Amino acid sequence: MSVDTSNIAKEGGGVFGWLDRRYGLTPLVEFMKHKEVPVGVHSMFWYYLGGATLFFFMMQVCTGSLLLLFYQAGESTSYESIRFITTKVPFGWLVRSMHCWSAHLMIISLVTHMFSTMMLKAYRPPREMTWVTGFILLSLALGFGFSGYLLPWNELAFFATAVGTDSMKAVPGIGDFLLQVLRGGTDVSINTLHRFFGLHVVILPLVMVGLVTAHLLVIQRQGMAPPQGHKTAPKGMRFFPDFALRDLQLWLMCLIVLASLAVFLPYGPHIPGIEWELGKKANPLAPAYPGIKPEWYFLWIYQLLKEFPAHFLGMEGSQAAVLLVGLLMGAWAMMPWLDRRAQRDEASPGFTDIGAATLIFLGFLLFKAWDIGGGGIGDKLPDPVLTARICAFWWLGIASVATALRATVLHQRYFLFTAATALQIALHGLLGMQYLAAGGIALVALVIGLLVLRSRGQAVPEVRS
Amino acid sequence: MPTNDTEPVRTRRSLLDLLLGVGFIGFAASALYPVLRYLKPMASAGPGGPLKLTADEVGKLAKEHSIITRLGTGRVLVFEDAQQNLRALDARCTHEGCTVQYVPGDSVIWCACHNGRYDLDGRVLAGPPPRPLALYGCTRDPDGSVTIQPPKKGES
Amino acid sequence: MIGLLLAALFAQTAAAAPAPAAALPKPLAALADGKHKDGTPILTQKQRDTLAALPERTIKLLSDAADSMILGSPEELAALLSLDVQPQVLDLIATDNCVLCHADPMNQKPKALFSPDPKAAGSNPLLNLRELVSDVHFRAGLSCAGCHGGKPSDDVMPKEIATRWPAEEVRHTDRSWIPEFCARCHSDTQFMRGFNPTLPTDQLAKYKTSKHGELLLEKHDNNAAQCVSCHSVHGIRSAKSRNSTVHPQKVPETCGKCHADPEHMKGYLTSAGAPLPTDQVEKYKKSVHGQALLVKGDLGAPSCTGCHGSHAAQPPEVASVSQVCRRCHAQNGMLFDSSRHKKAFEEHKWPECGQCHGHHDIQKPTVSLIGNTTDTLCGKCHAENSKDNPKCNETAKHFRTTLDEMIAGREEVSGEVEHLAEMGLDIEPVTRSLSDLDEAVTQSKAKVHSFSMSTFDAAAKPGTEALQKSRQEIGEAHNEFQFRRRGLVGAIVFMMLLVAGIGLKLRELERSRKDSDKP
Ligand code: FES
Repeated sequence: MSVDTSNIAKEGGGVFGWLDRRYGLTPLVEFMKHKEVPVGVHSMFWYYLGGATLFFFMMQVCTGSLLLLFYQAGESTSYESIRFITTKVPFGWLVRSMHCWSAHLMIISLVTHMFSTMMLKAYRPPREMTWVTGFILLSLALGFGFSGYLLPWNELAFFATAVGTDSMKAVPGIGDFLLQVLRGGTDVSINTLHRFFGLHVVILPLVMVGLVTAHLLVIQRQGMAPPQGHKTAPKGMRFFPDFALRDLQLWLMCLIVLASLAVFLPYGPHIPGIEWELGKKANPLAPAYPGIKPEWYFLWIYQLLKEFPAHFLGMEGSQAAVLLVGLLMGAWAMMPWLDRRAQRDEASPGFTDIGAATLIFLGFLLFKAWDIGGGGIGDKLPDPVLTARICAFWWLGIASVATALRATVLHQRYFLFTAATALQIALHGLLGMQYLAAGGIALVALVIGLLVLRSRGQAVPEVRS
Repeated sequence: MPTNDTEPVRTRRSLLDLLLGVGFIGFAASALYPVLRYLKPMASAGPGGPLKLTADEVGKLAKEHSIITRLGTGRVLVFEDAQQNLRALDARCTHEGCTVQYVPGDSVIWCACHNGRYDLDGRVLAGPPPRPLALYGCTRDPDGSVTIQPPKKGES
Repeated sequence: MIGLLLAALFAQTAAAAPAPAAALPKPLAALADGKHKDGTPILTQKQRDTLAALPERTIKLLSDAADSMILGSPEELAALLSLDVQPQVLDLIATDNCVLCHADPMNQKPKALFSPDPKAAGSNPLLNLRELVSDVHFRAGLSCAGCHGGKPSDDVMPKEIATRWPAEEVRHTDRSWIPEFCARCHSDTQFMRGFNPTLPTDQLAKYKTSKHGELLLEKHDNNAAQCVSCHSVHGIRSAKSRNSTVHPQKVPETCGKCHADPEHMKGYLTSAGAPLPTDQVEKYKKSVHGQALLVKGDLGAPSCTGCHGSHAAQPPEVASVSQVCRRCHAQNGMLFDSSRHKKAFEEHKWPECGQCHGHHDIQKPTVSLIGNTTDTLCGKCHAENSKDNPKCNETAKHFRTTLDEMIAGREEVSGEVEHLAEMGLDIEPVTRSLSDLDEAVTQSKAKVHSFSMSTFDAAAKPGTEALQKSRQEIGEAHNEFQFRRRGLVGAIVFMMLLVAGIGLKLRELERSRKDSDKP
């Protein structure tokens, strides 16, 4: 883009003036001054989550760069250098624990950001690409977590990576190739570490920065999505300085939370999948031990893999599971096109319900993966039936409270998907049915419900705000 | 009176600026301090690398023919054999973990706890120890200093 | 013709069920295809597979034996195949007519039958075929004939066999012939060199000096142990084999067969004239040595033979028991020898180590033995025998308090270490100091045997220093955590100020905007 010199201010002193004369900054500043953030019926809170995610990402870049100054990838140095950083380097412990905490907080705010976008239907035209880039950013963030987990080369990471990469081979056709490329051989070895290291500190960051820029650019270009039902924002808040300063406030708060967590829980909250105690150095020849779990955001996949029998519908169980996960993710990425009502800027309570149901679906799997209520203490292995029952109690409870709130406070009337999910949980957890069988029944019930609604003509009760 | 009207506004503004300034400087300092400390190189060597004996230790070694020193979390026995070659062995007896000692007169490494004996390469000669002692690398540099290298994994 | 037809028929039915024994030579195939009266095959499928997998040479030897009818029945073949041994061992069996004949259940009365399971076969438990084929003598090619006489190739039993040993009526009631019998070979250095040059040949000489030997050879006491009592009869294995009755970990049990049996030991007295106790094995198993050997698997720890000797088994007397301990506990022995206790113990004719530590039930010594009060070993003995010498008492008290301090201090410090580690602090220095402390505790416990304050203190000093250092390091770690917390609080305060400032600034902005809107 060439600068239109005719527009460039001729006067104005100082650095800004100097720059302005050369690069024509005034239009940019004008743009910023007039850019507005819609203020609507929804709480402003949701608009800040993207900013919080960005903040955590920047923290990752900073702390990651610092770690890179001491980290030495290698069989006999990876573990030792991390140990050195956390015990010997002044404030090394802080840098590492901030890096770890910030990673988890980033995923949390990212996922929350995504769900809020989903609930508010902010993906409706013309903002489909914002959603898609956001979805890819989420996948990249997960990739960051997965590749970074191995870098300390400790026992836990080693086995979790072995298990995690192993599910790759279930990808039909190219599974074995993918697995070998990822591991740099047939087994997880130091080659894997070097690959993950390159991925974690060069390849993923490059792609990520590019995509974040794209994501931000489309947002800046289009402005933030106004609440549904309004073509333009009824009222606006100036982006600069009003919104930006508020953003800054939020960032400071995030930093306070991050630093406090890093100081008081330097090794994480001791929940499986959210801990990073260094432990023992990885020994590729040592036998695996029970209780190896991936990080929490992968746990639902891990649990889903466990729910599949050895063979399912003529496929290997794990292949079927990976296929299912792929389908779900694909559908999620295509959300803007699937939600026809939102495309026409009509209320689409069905998709709001899908969002709620998805949360319940994932939450139930997560709790199961944590063996909540299974009574596994010490050497005793948790009892899967008991786990399923207690987790079902939890999530049926949460689902009913959430539904009641949605019905009374938000005046929503569409709960079909939530009902189907709850049905599956109840059948599986309370009646002891197989997870997949319960899922099948719930799916059939859901389809019947949808057909009935459609035949009644009034597919969805319209709620306008 | 216009002056009366703007006066409190101005003081409020300057107070606010002061607040912002203090907050910002304090925040910047508390963020920069750890980073600068982190970046400042440390005196000692990197993680788990080779170990150089201190001058004190070298002196003691010359006088008493053997010393026990630390490497990482373990102990190492450094000693001088009859040919005045320096050697270094893991000092933890492989039996029950007592610290072994060098007996120059017999040219053996002796564990006092249960009378375990090793030769100068760490091989078991007698007594209950089940495994040999790990052999460390040990070199005397031209300037008289002594460097100890941890054993490679898999060779003990 | 008809036979061929029949064979073909057989082959067909056989092919329908198990694999045909087609490749086998005829005599062996006939045995392999043998059937019970009800028509079911005698060899199981697994045994057939074993047979089919045997190398040609073994097959040939077996077939030859079958041809000469010494390998006489399908049942015997089944028994041999069920042993699951390497083909080389089967080769040995196949060329040994004694075994072949005596392992054929169709041909031998139970009394003389070697069977893989004597109990089921109703034969003598000593005639265990499984044991026999793993016997070190058998494997070395000595065969039955080596002891019983005759030759493995004999088709009929020669007269000579009955003549080597005392007559049947005598040889079981007076076993004093056995040691000499084994010694024919085992004391012959020339002979033994051909088998195992490192094996000693002095067992008989030693045995003669042992209590067992004295009883058996001089008093003809049949209760006394001889070679086979410990080494077994037909299943003798090298002491290195884990299945051997004389493997270090099996020794306590083997000795206990007699020594833990009150019935067996009735009437035997100690040198002091008391009845010989039978609880030694029980005690030993609970002792520090028993635990090390049997539970931890430390083969360096002494079993019964470690102190009493094996072939020359004797109770170590007062003079020698402490020498026995010194074989391993050399340092403590030397310290004791140069201590003032040495003379006193000699005067009282006390066994040195055992006097305080016990014998069969030696426990890991704890500090509770030491002290000047009468509930401690030192205090009690000194009150009784040493007129409560105040100087000694003071030394004992000093030992105790110093050790107690170190041990309690360690406990206290290590309790904090975990907590500190959880808070993310560097605990490496403390762990180091603690390991120094442990070393010093071990050393100073050993130095107690010098019964000299200065020697003890020299060893204890690094310990107390290490303890002090570890305390200091704990303190430093606490300070470090304090520092972190304070730093955090400081930073939070500044950030809060900034947040508040920005908030005020925003309000200010809005107000000024409203002001400028008004006019
Ligand atoms: S500890 Fe060294 S010999 Fe027992």
